[in-house]
This record gives sequence, C-alpha cells and structure tokens, in this order.
Amino acid sequence: MSGLSHRRGVSRLLGRLELVVIWVVTAVALAPFLWLMVTAFKHRTDVMSPTPKILFSPTLSNFHEAFVIGPFTTNLINSLVTASASTLLCLVLGLPAAYAFSRFRVYGEKHVFFYVLTTRMAPGIALVLPLYMFFQSIGLLGTLTAVTVAQTTFNLALVVYLMRNFFNDIPRELDEAALTEGAGEWQVFTRIILPLARPGIAVTAMISFLFAWNEFLFAFMLGGTGAQTLPAAFPGLVTPHGTYWGQLAAASVVVSIPVLIMIWFIQRHLTRGLTFGAVK
Amino acid sequence: MAKVRLENVSKVYGDVVAVRDIDLEIDHNEFVVLVGPSGCGKSTTLRMIAGLEEISGGSIHIGDRVVNDEPPRMRNVAMVFQNYALYPHMSVRENLAFGLTLARVPRREIDLKVAEAADILGLDELLDRQPAQLSGGERQRVAMGRAIVRHPDVFLFDEPLSNLDAQLRTQMRTEIKRLHRKVKTTVVYVTHDQVEAMTLADRVVIMRAGKVEQIGTPDNIFHYPANAFVAKFIGSPPMNMFDAVVAETTDGKVLRVDSDWQLPVPRHLATRVEAGHEVVIGLRADDITPRGHGMPPREGAVFESAVNIVEPLGSETLLFVNFGPSETIAKMVRPRTVQEGETLSFDVNLEELKLFDRSSGQAIERTRA
Ligand SMILES: Nc1ncnc2c1ncn2[C@@H]1O[C@H](COP(=O)(O)OP(=O)(O)OP(=O)(O)O)[C@@H](O)[C@H]1O
Ligand SMILES: [Mg+2]
Repeated sequence: MSGLSHRRGVSRLLGRLELVVIWVVTAVALAPFLWLMVTAFKHRTDVMSPTPKILFSPTLSNFHEAFVIGPFTTNLINSLVTASASTLLCLVLGLPAAYAFSRFRVYGEKHVFFYVLTTRMAPGIALVLPLYMFFQSIGLLGTLTAVTVAQTTFNLALVVYLMRNFFNDIPRELDEAALTEGAGEWQVFTRIILPLARPGIAVTAMISFLFAWNEFLFAFMLGGTGAQTLPAAFPGLVTPHGTYWGQLAAASVVVSIPVLIMIWFIQRHLTRGLTFGAVK
Repeated sequence: MAKVRLENVSKVYGDVVAVRDIDLEIDHNEFVVLVGPSGCGKSTTLRMIAGLEEISGGSIHIGDRVVNDEPPRMRNVAMVFQNYALYPHMSVRENLAFGLTLARVPRREIDLKVAEAADILGLDELLDRQPAQLSGGERQRVAMGRAIVRHPDVFLFDEPLSNLDAQLRTQMRTEIKRLHRKVKTTVVYVTHDQVEAMTLADRVVIMRAGKVEQIGTPDNIFHYPANAFVAKFIGSPPMNMFDAVVAETTDGKVLRVDSDWQLPVPRHLATRVEAGHEVVIGLRADDITPRGHGMPPREGAVFESAVNIVEPLGSETLLFVNFGPSETIAKMVRPRTVQEGETLSFDVNLEELKLFDRSSGQAIERTRA
C-alpha cells in the first residue's frame, strides 16, 4: 500500500517536472518572437534605448513607414503572387506525378522517386547559380516568373512526396471498383482519388505555400529589384546609415501572419488527413 | 448473360506461381464458386477475369471475345469486394449511379435503374446516406446493388460475406442466391468457406496451390471426391481418414489398419485394389452411426468403442470414438443422451467408404453398379 502511494507520488512529481520543461521550452521558443512583436510597435527612440524598455507607448509608425511610405506593400504582393502561383503549379504537376508513383509499378520507379527527393535535398546555394545563368540567358531574370518557376522546382518534390503518401492511404480496391465500373485511369484520379485526398491536398498546398513564402535565397538572387518578395526586401533595411530595426520588425510581423494562420489550419487538417485512411 | 472460358490460364509473380494452367468453362447464368484454402489463387483467378491482374499465360474469353488485353472497363464485368469498396465520399445513390454516370446514361434512365436496384435489394431507405452511416450488412447490399445496376455480363464476388458476423452471413448467403434467381447472370464467386460454396454453387471449383483439384456439382464433389484433399476439404466435420494396407484373407480382401484392426474391402472397390496396396480409408461421420439409431446399412461392419467426447449440435450429435489405433468422429442423427465414457456399438456404412491411393492421393474409382 505504502509502496503504491509512494510510486504515485513519484509519478505526480514527474508529471510536474514535465510541465515545467514544456513551459521552459515554449518560453525559449517564443521569446525572440515576443521580442520582435514588441519591437514592431516601439518608437525609434525606444528601440534604440540602451536599456531595454519594458513599458513604452505603442505606435504603428513602423508599419506606416515600411508599408505606406516604403515599398513593402509591393513586396508583399510579389510574395503573394509567387507563393500562390508556384503552389498552384506544384499541384498541377505534382498531383498526377504522385498518383503515378502511388499506383503504377514502373521499372526503375524507386530510383526516379529518389531522384525527385534529392532535388529537394540539394543545397539551394548550389542550384541558384545555374538557375541565375539560365534565367539571364532567356531574359527572365528579375521577373515574377523566374521566382515562381524556381520555387516550383524545389517545392515540387515535396508535393510529390507528401501526396504519394496520402494517395497510398486510399485503399486500392476503390480504384479497382471504379476501373471495373467503366472508369479509365484519369477518371479514377479525378473522381475518386482527388476528392478523397482533399484534406491531404489542402495540407500539402499550405506547406508548399509556406515554403515559397518563407524562401529567401532564390527570391533574392532571381527576383532582383523588379520582383522582390517580402523576405528578399529585408536586406534593404540594413543600410550604411544604420539598420531600420523598427521597420524590420514590422515587416517580420506581417510576414509571420499567414504562417501562423496556416500552421493553425494544418494542425487541424493533418490529424484528419492522417486518420482518414480507414475506409473499411 | 455470357459464357466465360479460361484456357490454360496462369499467373506468375516473380518466382511465385499463383495460378497454374487453369481450364474452366462457365456457362450462361451459371453460378460457379471457387473454393480452397488461403493462398491457393482464388482471388488471383477472379482478378484476372476482371482484368485487374494481367495474365502470364493462356487466354480468357468472355462471351465470344478474347479479353486478354482488354482493360477492366471494356469487359462489362462487375466486382464485389471483400471490404465492399464503397466510395466514401459519395452517397449510396451516387455509389449506385457511378458506373452509369461514367457510361453517360441519361439522368432519367439512371434514376430508374437505381430505383430498380434499390428495390430489389431493399435499399430505398438508405439512398441518401453516406457509406460511413451504414452497417456491415447494408454496405454489403449497396456493393451488390452497385454491381447489378449496370446489368454486367458477369458478376465477380471475392469473399463478399467474410466481414459479416455468422448470423448475417447465412442470411446474406440466401439473399445472394435469391438475387441470382431474380437477376439471371453468370457469377464467379470466391470463398474459402466450403459451406458457402456448397449452398450457392451450381458448380464448385476446388483449388489448391494454384491448381484445380476438382470441378463438379456440390453433390458430385461431396459424394465422389476426386482425391483425399477434396474429400477432407468438403463436408463438416471433415471426412475421417485412416492409413491402411490391403491384405488378402480367407474371408476376402480386407483393409488392415493395424495388426488387430481391419475392415472388409467394400464390394464396389473389391476389384480395384490388390493385396499390398497402400491406401487411405475415407469415412464421413454420417457413415459411422451408433447401432439402433436408424436403419442398419445394407453392407456394413460393426465395432465397439467407448465414447470419448460428446458434441451435441441440436438436431444431431457428434461422438468422438476410438477406431482402432486412432480416433474418429461418428454422428447420431436422432440423438439420445450419451454419457462420455459409455461404450457403444457402431455401424460402418461400407457402401459409402472411399479409398485413396496413399502416394498420389487420388480416389480409387468405384466400379459402376
Ligand atoms: N501481388 C503479388 N505479388 C506476389 N505474390 C502474390 C501477389 N498476389 C498474390 N500473390 C501470391 O499468389 C498466391 C495466390 O494469392 P491469392 O490472393 O489469389 O490467394 P487466395 O486464394 O485468394 O487466398 P485468400 O483466401 O487468403 O484470399 C499466394 O501465394 C500469394 O502470396
Ligand atoms: Mg483472396
């Protein structure tokens, strides 16, 4: 009896300890973000104050300078356009490819699939130079098209990989039932597979959007000044005359908003997406 | 509505031969059941007919077409799967209509056909439900409805009842039979349950390890099994089997089980075996009965044994008794109370005794009466 209650005491203590650890980890992870939020709403003088100010009168002046006076609204629109367009392109190309990888046995398919994955694993810095020369030679350097295409090349692998897994979860008997009922492969894809994979497609689309949205290197190198996305515009605020911390923070807050919204969505959808396989 | 013919059909996966040179001819509107133990190639055979699996050799005919290279959608067959494979994102109505929609049948005609199928299968109330909202039996019926709306040439069933509980399974079994009487179509039905095979089939195809062991009517395979495997597979409880050697005695030929346990060779087999022949005796429980329960057999033998185990089944009772060196199952049709340990006399009905060659397993054919 006493042994049992002792053990229960120990497990309760462990439970508390766990909670403490979780809080510490959360705090460490959130601290920079909180700092950022606070900075975005500070006056220039408060930002530069040598002793950090906890109490200050909040202001929107940083947002005003970055997005109304400065060029960041254009950058924001560029980001939206390239991230959306590359996501759409990834889905249009990636969904049929993923379906093919999931359903058809092709000689050498494993190698092809691995190759697709490596396009995602290759360091971006190694790819950006050839892409730069390529777009330069066809005269697309500094256009939204260049940024969109570049982002598609590296997100496509991700879309194929994720969607293949979602498609694999759909029982093959459904395809076979449709095939015997008179469907061709394309009809199976559009009328059975795609509707059933909708949660998976939503999650994948958001992840692809986020990767493109957050992407810096390709956008910076290939977008030039004509097609600068929001992240690519950040270095412009670090000038010889000083760094515009307040505006940087304000732009960072704006760039984070879609990320937060989508992560919230993905969390809700992902559980549904993953348990959906049980079609018994 | 169509004949189906398999000629020398085989299927090889890498170095596994799943189906080996199957020949099978299925008549218009015939109900053929493929039965056999797990992994014997039933599903593979069915899927080759459906076109879901390419054939490695031979040819398949449906009606007067060779369909070897036709994709499933050209074959006009309908398949019912073990897990039903209803489209989870469509209502029952949409599930039933799917095939007709693909064939671009006009809306009004689709509605009529769906209503007709729903009526036959009692699905009217369920048409607007999603598959997730149906019970196992209801899903099963929807799956069959989806097959019949299209009026296919051939129905293919792959263990359609094995996900149902025992009671529902017997009920659906009868329903499938009734359905076949109503909607006359050629049916190929796969099961590993010999009772299902016997009750449903016009003809049963018994398979083992990718090969056909015997094809025949349920009666035929029950009474004239072609080999020891079929004999043991069909019938419940399984046929009793004993190794024996034929010996010549002053009373004629006998089947010697061991030095002091033997049975006379029945008349219908007397000219078929010679002394020294190593055989397997097959006797069904129905042909080993306690004396005084029913008519004594015309040609019989008698032995005595203690009853080891009593298994009452209601209308009949199974008795586990000693038969020489081994144990056998006897059957009592008009049961009275029997105590375990009680000693009884038993009649062996020699007219129904089967003999199999021990090395080949093949039945030793009886002389025609
Ligand atoms: N895709 C495959 N690749 C390799 N071997 C396979 C494949 N499909 C089936 N087999 C093999 O072929 C043989 C026959 O399989 P099949 O599914 O036809 O058996 P079955 O009679 O339907 O059995 P069950 O009653 O268990 O469903 C088995 O030995 C199986 O392992
Ligand atoms: Mg099977």
